[in-house]
Amino acid sequence: MTPIPERLLHRLRALAAVLMIAGAGSAGAEPVAPGAPQFDAGDRRGGLLDEIVFSTEPDTGKVVGLIEDGTYQLFAQGITNQTIFQRIRESERIEHDLSYGSSVELTFNPSGPEFESGELNPFAVPEIREAMNWLVDRRHIAEEIYGGLARPRYMVVGTATPDYAGLAAEAREIELRYQPDPRRAEDVITREMEALGAEMAGGRWHHEGAPVTLRVLIRNDDIRRQVGDYVANRLEDIGFGVERMYRDAEESSRIWIGGDPAAGQWHVYTGSWVSIVVSRDTATNFDFYYTPRGRAEPLWQAYDPAPEFDEVSERLSRGDYGDLDERAGMMARALELSMRDSARVWLVDQIQVGPRAADLGVSVDLAGGVRGSQLWPLTAHRGDTPGGSARFAMPSLLTEPWNPVAGTNWLFDRMVLRALDDSAALPDPFTGLFRPQRIAEAELTVETGTPVTKSLDWLELGQADEILVPDDAWLAWDGEEGRFLSVAEAGEDGLRARTRSRIVFEDGYFDRRWHDGTTVSPADLLISYALTFARADPDSPLFDPSHVPAFESFERHFRGLRILSTDPLTVEVYSDQITPDAETIVARRAPGTLPWHVMALAIMAEESGELAFSSDQADRLGAEWLSLVSGPSLGVLDRMRERAAAQDHVPFAALLGAHLDEGEISERYAALADWRAERGHYQIGDGPYYLHSVYPVQGALVLRHFEDFPDPADKWLDFTRPPIPAVALDGPMMVPDGEAARFEIEVSSAGEPYPAEDIATAEFLLFDGDGALMERGAAEPRGAGLWEVALSADQVAGLGRGANSLEVVVTSRHVAMPVFASFAFATVPEGTQKLQ
Amino acid sequence: MAQSAEQRGEGASAGTARGWLRDARLIGVFVLRRVVALMVTVLIGVYLTIVVANMGGQVDELREIQIRSDISEAVRADPEIPAEERGELVERRVQMERERLNLDQPFVIRSVDYLRRAIMLDLGRAEQMHSDLGSRQVYAIITERLPATILLFGTANMLVFFASIFAALGLSRRYGSLTDRTVIGLAPTSAAPGWFYGIFLILVFAFIVPVLPSGGMVAVPPPESPWAYALSVMRHMVLPVTAMFISSIFISIYSWRTFFLIHSSEDYVEMARAKGLPSGMIERRYILRPTLPPIITSFLLMLIGLWSGAIILEQVFNWPGLGTLLFQAIGHRDTPVIIGGVVIFAYLLALTVFLLDFLYAILDPRVRVGFEGGER
Repeated sequence: MTPIPERLLHRLRALAAVLMIAGAGSAGAEPVAPGAPQFDAGDRRGGLLDEIVFSTEPDTGKVVGLIEDGTYQLFAQGITNQTIFQRIRESERIEHDLSYGSSVELTFNPSGPEFESGELNPFAVPEIREAMNWLVDRRHIAEEIYGGLARPRYMVVGTATPDYAGLAAEAREIELRYQPDPRRAEDVITREMEALGAEMAGGRWHHEGAPVTLRVLIRNDDIRRQVGDYVANRLEDIGFGVERMYRDAEESSRIWIGGDPAAGQWHVYTGSWVSIVVSRDTATNFDFYYTPRGRAEPLWQAYDPAPEFDEVSERLSRGDYGDLDERAGMMARALELSMRDSARVWLVDQIQVGPRAADLGVSVDLAGGVRGSQLWPLTAHRGDTPGGSARFAMPSLLTEPWNPVAGTNWLFDRMVLRALDDSAALPDPFTGLFRPQRIAEAELTVETGTPVTKSLDWLELGQADEILVPDDAWLAWDGEEGRFLSVAEAGEDGLRARTRSRIVFEDGYFDRRWHDGTTVSPADLLISYALTFARADPDSPLFDPSHVPAFESFERHFRGLRILSTDPLTVEVYSDQITPDAETIVARRAPGTLPWHVMALAIMAEESGELAFSSDQADRLGAEWLSLVSGPSLGVLDRMRERAAAQDHVPFAALLGAHLDEGEISERYAALADWRAERGHYQIGDGPYYLHSVYPVQGALVLRHFEDFPDPADKWLDFTRPPIPAVALDGPMMVPDGEAARFEIEVSSAGEPYPAEDIATAEFLLFDGDGALMERGAAEPRGAGLWEVALSADQVAGLGRGANSLEVVVTSRHVAMPVFASFAFATVPEGTQKLQ
Repeated sequence: MAQSAEQRGEGASAGTARGWLRDARLIGVFVLRRVVALMVTVLIGVYLTIVVANMGGQVDELREIQIRSDISEAVRADPEIPAEERGELVERRVQMERERLNLDQPFVIRSVDYLRRAIMLDLGRAEQMHSDLGSRQVYAIITERLPATILLFGTANMLVFFASIFAALGLSRRYGSLTDRTVIGLAPTSAAPGWFYGIFLILVFAFIVPVLPSGGMVAVPPPESPWAYALSVMRHMVLPVTAMFISSIFISIYSWRTFFLIHSSEDYVEMARAKGLPSGMIERRYILRPTLPPIITSFLLMLIGLWSGAIILEQVFNWPGLGTLLFQAIGHRDTPVIIGGVVIFAYLLALTVFLLDFLYAILDPRVRVGFEGGER
């Protein structure tokens, strides 16, 4: 038997060690069990808690103490401080969730290669920007600078997105290609710098006799200060002079985003981007981040992508592809080209920690944490029985006035509001894919050749060569009469649309209750549409110029609406708006409801000039911005309520009147008066919780369980924990020439085998000792949680002798985050003694 | 004689009347000069605030960048808006926002308008902020936070003020005693601000021995009974008031004690002591009375000092006061709110200085108004 050469063994061990670390790191989050926690909701309906108290606590430094002493059960703000995270991990009374919505990158100034001052800008050269990928060590940044609260990120597509999961194998290949390689980086930069006329003298780059100094614009108000220092050090190591410009958000924005890049105020900026929901479609990212079409600011206008990259970015942005396979191919190509362009070098996806009491369970969005979760109100629970109360701390509350038309858009206000309102469909917090909440069935028809696909079974997807909008569908608004005009009345006979969504709502949709006890009616559905159109009508007293741009965008794609039935509620919506997911199209087209009697008061108040739905309109009228929960708005609404009740007032009477039962008008206003007297506000919804009381100055509000919510309380409990798979890869450390090899993959979650039907893909990539991709394929299922990669003798022989690595990429159907595992093995001459 | 007495009486009363008229004229001229001087001071102070708060107009550039960034990201985050339509939508919304904030006007013109409205106490509307109740009126935004500020800082400052006056009076009689030396020794502890002690107090009394709340103004949710509510507010005040008290009391006692010591060694006080007058009477008549003007000045300045709150202390204790509000206004660059806070403070200060001139005259017979010597 041939002994293993010492050099080979050494390389093998080193590689194995590196890959073990890499594998452990890339697996990311701690594994958790898929499915619902052990919980008996009994016959309870709606939310699982009796009461939720929100209050402001901006100091995250107190988080551990306040959760441990029971003051709070949840902090809605994500924690990024390593010290606090360490204390959270050490505490037995605190659990935490992780979310991945923010990213850090290096933005390069692409102007040049010489600025207006004549100074050299090496980053005008794409090859030098690309070389920065090899110069920086993302794992070092993630683990040393962020203390583990970050994952390395190489590409413009975030690591917690469905697109990344769908392109996991291609992405992994690119990631391995751009592993840290300072020597390669230096070689490329040297070659390109010399081509620019620069020369190395005394260990420093010089251009036209002067040393080349790079201005690194470093944000000093967060951890990017250390990232910027790290990058500056690396640039100094390869011979650049570096001027470190430490600036806060405002000061830096004036330089990198406000200034002309040709003026040469900066070369590199430590940028960061935030997303609060799982982004289902990242195809537009290339156009946004790398081309002048992204934004109007001077930096974007300086971008000059290669023609092929420019074209593919633009096509992806427009959705100009025949089917999803073509899209995937274009995405893969765009990823390659974006790395070559590298106008931005992506560094890490930052991990935010959401701390909560150990006995509190809640659904947390993979990107946005609990504050971005749509499902939190339907899943928040304590212990293993329903009931009880919980206190949530947030950095701010009631930041702007609450009204459902153009009220607050602040993250934490929106989080509370999600508990007060019901929706037709809700996004899966781990994939971003919409699932039905009030929809019983749906049918989406798209024009033949439109690249739309469906992933879930709750809707049907069909194609038609032509989708004609029926003549009786509502299309436009008649402001004078206060009613919709049909396609025929609008003179648009023969109108076509790219999509038709036929949505059937569940039985009893109009038997549901508003929080004030009144019954939901078709008028509540129609008022939402009426307001959308009336606020954009210059002849309407509700006309709001700030609403017009968004309305025009809506109008460009809206092709009609038909209510086919009210029992069950069945609507058809025609639109030209396309997204790759059928679920998203239907969910976005599904109409929602607003309590018409509350809106009636608000409309009267806006018509009288005393209140306004939007901030802009309020400023224009010199009125207060409508708030349904507090402040001077309430007095105005009181007066309007008395007037409306006295007149049995119905807004948009020509439209809504036909849908109101006898007695409903006075019943609604009476219920509203009682609600106001009892609760002190006008915030009425149909969600699982109602707003019990508001304390604006004290920064607190109380939500209570709404008994009449129709759904079982455990309906969404499956989504409490993200079922991120844990992957272990094992096999022979040595494979002799001429022999086949088998590698075993164990996929699990919380120690339980991961069901094969829940695995979307399990692919492998085989690299030889030089890092070249030799083979790529799918792993085969081999029983509960077990998969196998079988390499034939020919495949093994193709690797040559030496150290190789096998990379496995596993993606789950239930979570938009692929998991990677690596295994190092050696191909050795036949007869070599095998290592065990 | 009777006639001449009558004539003298008439002459005297005429003289008295002339005297009154002269005094009234003197006072009128004095008042006018003081009012004009104070108004000019207020004008300059407020205008400087406007210029500084806007960095001489440079804030406009920052705001435009911020507006464009915010709108661009908001539009991009909306999946309903196709990529090719985003650019136009962003531009239109940016233009609307510029018009709303009058950023299309030169800063100089806006600054004069800000000043005019501020001086007229027309506080107007905030540009970005809202009161907690949801109003955009600057008046509502400020007055909403005022009670919380007055309650916390009024309580703490009153405690410090009166406790230090009485302790200082006592110490001035025990000059060199152990207590006196202890207080002097502790005076440097006031170098640390209230929030610094606050952090330690929170650590000890909210977390290590959890007997008091770590922050906030009242329990959450607030108690419904007024008594329980008041009790809860008092509980929440204990730590911040203690923090402020600890950070101020020793230096305050030290400075008043030194002040009283100087006055205690005046000749007339020594004379009173030599006459054997009781010490209480000496304190009241011979020390406190002549030192009353500076004490009252200090008291009034302390009262109007409440207006500004304390930014960091309010942050540490999560107290909804004016300090936090002004901090937020600076962060938002909400000029009307900043100006509103400053102009009210400026008017309060001017009014206080104006009133003090009269109070001095009432309290101290040596202070008079006259032409020759001017104001004494």
